[in-house]
Amino acid sequence: MTATQEPRRERRTVGSVAALIITFQVLVRQIVTRSRLIALGLMGAIVVVVGWAVGMSDSTDRDLDPLEQSVRISVNLGLTVVVPVVALVFAAGALGDARDDGTLVYLWLRPMRRWPVAVGAFAAALVVALPLTVIPVVATAALIESSGELVTAVAIATTVAVVGYTGLFLLLGSLLKRSIVWGLAYIIIWEGVAAGLGRAAARLSIRGYARSVITDRVGVEVASFDITQGWGIVAPLVAATAAIMLTTWRLNRMDVA
Amino acid sequence: MSSLPPPPPVSGSRIDVPPVAEPMVELSNVSKVFGDVVAVSDVSFTVGPGVTALLGPNGAGKSTLFRMLCGLTPPSQGQVRVLGSDARRDREVRGRIGLIGQEDGLFDQLSAGRFVEIAAMTHGMVDPKAVAVEALAEVELDPLEPKPLGAYSKGMRQRVKVAAGLVNDPDVMVLDEPLTGLDPVQRRRMIALFHRLGDQGRCVLVSSHVLDEVARLGSRVLVIAQGRLAATGDYRALRDLMDDRPHRIRLRTDDPRTLAARLIDTGTAVAVRVETDGLVADILDVDRFGRSLAPLARDIGIRLHEVEPLDDDLESVFRYLVERR
Repeated sequence: MTATQEPRRERRTVGSVAALIITFQVLVRQIVTRSRLIALGLMGAIVVVVGWAVGMSDSTDRDLDPLEQSVRISVNLGLTVVVPVVALVFAAGALGDARDDGTLVYLWLRPMRRWPVAVGAFAAALVVALPLTVIPVVATAALIESSGELVTAVAIATTVAVVGYTGLFLLLGSLLKRSIVWGLAYIIIWEGVAAGLGRAAARLSIRGYARSVITDRVGVEVASFDITQGWGIVAPLVAATAAIMLTTWRLNRMDVA
Repeated sequence: MSSLPPPPPVSGSRIDVPPVAEPMVELSNVSKVFGDVVAVSDVSFTVGPGVTALLGPNGAGKSTLFRMLCGLTPPSQGQVRVLGSDARRDREVRGRIGLIGQEDGLFDQLSAGRFVEIAAMTHGMVDPKAVAVEALAEVELDPLEPKPLGAYSKGMRQRVKVAAGLVNDPDVMVLDEPLTGLDPVQRRRMIALFHRLGDQGRCVLVSSHVLDEVARLGSRVLVIAQGRLAATGDYRALRDLMDDRPHRIRLRTDDPRTLAARLIDTGTAVAVRVETDGLVADILDVDRFGRSLAPLARDIGIRLHEVEPLDDDLESVFRYLVERR
């Protein structure tokens, strides 16, 4: 065969930052669908409506003082339901959807390092999940008790919980098919039931650390174990970092369709 | 995977060709097992520049072979080398492969232009927008079309995938059933494109389960069936080999015993099995059989109701190549 060599196109090494940005841009558009936004936005709106209804009710109708009531509703509805479910949908979908529909190959079979792909996917899920969780949960707390310290505590707790769950569910999406089902099972069984049964189990739950941040800042007892606010913030961040590292490891070893 | 079941004996290809002098793709005793299923069994071949067709029926292991070749899944046994390296571990090599997979998944929210541009960005191309325009022009798609990929037809999606596979000027192109969903004109143009890429010194590997497609794809053919390499070589030699194999034909007649005896006596058939309303004959020379059947029936005074080839499908061709039966 006579090969007729044509001048090849110019290219350069794909840097880690560039790979991260490309992954982020692609996956944000993939995970944000209208149906997801409507369903999860509605869930957040319902929590806000509950906060508004409680905030509007006469103080004589209340069993608890406004601060405690605000904390308990923020924890029981916000940290227990809204935050993990929203994080699960977007984080598990970031790499899980791409793997299931065969589009992961467009990021995998490329001259790019794996860790920027994992971090880009994490960032994509986090950027979408943060406003859909922090805004309604903080608004709910503020509608019941407009204390600056409470709002700050709930905002910090919600943010660290979203970061922790996003990391965890990103890893889950890279590990398992039907990750939404497994994620829901984890939220209900481990975070919802097991973590309430003992301190050891609570220390292995994201929600446990988020609750301890609120207890430490506003003094309302919702924590399952005693730790400082600093540890309550650091532990979910460490969990997220470890999960991203494991996702990178998984990307290196996984079978891609 | 510690050990694999030994592959069934293969009688060896009758159309072997010498190994490629400068292999761009090299598989040595490669096997792949999924649970209890042996998808690919002890396959070895080398491929150099130019177009090579991988022919095999659905489920033969073509896609698994291609996935191993691109590093998407590791082999259970053996070694896969692309441009002298393992694409699963070597980032530089991944940048020199263009894969057009069988999976239909694309980033459906993006336009074709943006999708191909992103493909160019992920390969580090210096001017990704210009590269995307050029690649889409190769497959005759409009880079300015704003419609999202989710609204594209199967054929158009296929062309977008080919464009995305071209952006990095790949040295090795792996195309898994790339002609699926294309109309005849687009098929012709796509095949011409593959030949052009092959003529430029690239290794172009194209899989298909359609024999006629492979005839137009290239002279070098790898035949895979039941996870094993059944034959390698020139397409024309393969065609001759398939024409030489025994053919099995069912004849419906009112006197199968007399016809069976005459077919054997005249050497028209090498074996005959008589059934209640006809017979099944194994023949070697189809042309001779076609010419002699009607005069033979007339001579012995019997009526022929139906002549039905039983093994004229591609599956039987592959079965023959693997099992020599």
